[in-house]
Amino acid sequence: MPVRVGIPRYLAYFSYYPWWKTFFEELGFEVITSSPTTKKTLDDGVEEAVNDACIPIKLYHGHVVELKDKVDIIFVPRLVKVRKFFTETFCPKFLALPDLLRASINGLPEILDTRVDLSQGPLELFRISREVGERFGVGLSRISRAYLLACKALRRYKKLMQGGMLADEALQHMEKGGDINRDKKRDLTIAVLGYPYLIYDSFINLDIVKKLRKMGADVVTAEMVSPRSLLREAKRLPKQMFWHYSNRAMHAAYYYMNRKRVDGLIHVTAFICGPDAMLDRLMEIEARQYGQMPFLTVSIDEETGSGGVDTRLEAFIDMLKRRRVQR
Amino acid sequence: MKKGYLGIDVGSVSTNLIVIDAEDEVLASLYLRTQGQPIRVIQEGMAQLSNLVPDGVEICAAGTTGSARHLAGVMVGADIVKNEITAHAVGTSRFIPGVQTILEIGGQDSKIIILRNGIVTDFAMNTVCAAGTGSFLDQQAARLTIPIERFGELALKSKNPVRIAGRCAVFAESDMIHKQQLGHCVEDIIAGLCEALVRNYLNNVGKGKEILPPIAFQGGVAANAGMKKAFEDALGHEVIIPKHFAVMGALGAAILAREEIESSNKRTRFKGFEVTDFSFQTRSFECKSCPNHCEVVQFYQNGEVIARWGSRCGKWDVQAS
Repeated sequence: MPVRVGIPRYLAYFSYYPWWKTFFEELGFEVITSSPTTKKTLDDGVEEAVNDACIPIKLYHGHVVELKDKVDIIFVPRLVKVRKFFTETFCPKFLALPDLLRASINGLPEILDTRVDLSQGPLELFRISREVGERFGVGLSRISRAYLLACKALRRYKKLMQGGMLADEALQHMEKGGDINRDKKRDLTIAVLGYPYLIYDSFINLDIVKKLRKMGADVVTAEMVSPRSLLREAKRLPKQMFWHYSNRAMHAAYYYMNRKRVDGLIHVTAFICGPDAMLDRLMEIEARQYGQMPFLTVSIDEETGSGGVDTRLEAFIDMLKRRRVQR
Repeated sequence: MKKGYLGIDVGSVSTNLIVIDAEDEVLASLYLRTQGQPIRVIQEGMAQLSNLVPDGVEICAAGTTGSARHLAGVMVGADIVKNEITAHAVGTSRFIPGVQTILEIGGQDSKIIILRNGIVTDFAMNTVCAAGTGSFLDQQAARLTIPIERFGELALKSKNPVRIAGRCAVFAESDMIHKQQLGHCVEDIIAGLCEALVRNYLNNVGKGKEILPPIAFQGGVAANAGMKKAFEDALGHEVIIPKHFAVMGALGAAILAREEIESSNKRTRFKGFEVTDFSFQTRSFECKSCPNHCEVVQFYQNGEVIARWGSRCGKWDVQAS
């Protein structure tokens, strides 16, 4: 029976899943992911994780709880840096993720906590891949093949998103093929920015994307912008932030304020997230600076009642529509 | 027959009902406490309102707003169900032409709305903190055994307001008790509280907003003259309290309903004041179809399900009109 490797469907999953899945399957593993977030995931996560962690970290614990009795290994990479870009790293809770899980959850299978620091150069990812493969006794040629196919899968995933698909749409397209039916263009376009695990998890963001579309707004995200365009926008910041996902969100905000102007910006933020406290304010100030771009912050926490979010979204869309009529 | 338009605003603390005529003049208005029972209060309010409305007025449209707007909308048969921001902006613009800033402090939330040329250009609502809202003032009035109606009048008598921490309702309360035990008089403490609430409001909700006159101040808390003065001191501008300050949301909803019916030429869905005699009930159940276990609410009118909501996937949703 093949080794079963579990991949929690949360956090960096939305950025790298096709790479991980392809790589492990090509090595001969069976890949099992947790199901999309539900109330149970949230309950489990809140129960297991340290109390003062943010909701995303708690949710990740919930996904791990779901997987722990179904797999032989859980893959929880210790993401440090994925590019050489000033002093940028992932947030400290990402760096500590494997340790947090081990300290909090009983009865875990082996945690494969591969350290990922790609700031050393372009060959680093292959070196890491080789290390993982050899640990499980896989030969070099098979590892190389898995590595190349994994990189190819990730490239395709990113291309699909740059073509306008959301993460789940792109993943579905890669798995099942077929076209995502694009309905007609809507009146408004809104950039929804923030960490991928808040934007693409429809449970925890209370279905923001679906709601906006229903209200007549097309949604664009940071992943729909090419990395080159994002890097060009980076120059607008006098100093880069420390956190990878925060930088991406801010660069995308600049892009949608300047290059491809949208009707409004919505920043989705996790309550008590330290980096977000700064990012949110910065985005708000810049949105005002760059030609009065309408800006809304939606703060996400444990609550499952959607009243507050609905009222804000509805008022925001109303405002944009009435502005339009006037212009 | 004279045409009338109904607006209902069901908030966390108060439920307001209003009837206006085709020129947006107020024919009848009502301010009630929600007391955690929106359905009962709406029915009671409708009963009272039907007596207040002058003879020969026919309700041609109905609109609802506030946190229980969907519930209210289903109950009375609303033609339009709108969020509070839009409703307040519409209502205030009608009565204070050219208004550029609306400060609104209600029972459990507070908001700021920025308008330019009659269009909302920016808004904010309080996030997680209730310090500075009506509930907190109520609570402190009760603790000092001062009727909330006299709060403002007392605040204006103060010569030296004391400084009170307004960042958090719990800290504000312990700070007030501390000042009171030191021997400061009640007037100074109350005036200090008003200043603290205004400071907190401007820091939290009003953060980074361009507050330009004319400035309107409304919501239940606008009844408090001490708060008006504290706002004027902090902003350096006159603050206008609209005549119908406590029911502006309902007023906006009524205007929106009138516009909706006039522009669409449809017949109103309003069920009439008879809703007072209907039996309304809600029952909820937990859906077990997926691990989300959504709490689905079923709404019955005279024993028949007329609406259902609360499921994430939408499979249970029904909305009979």
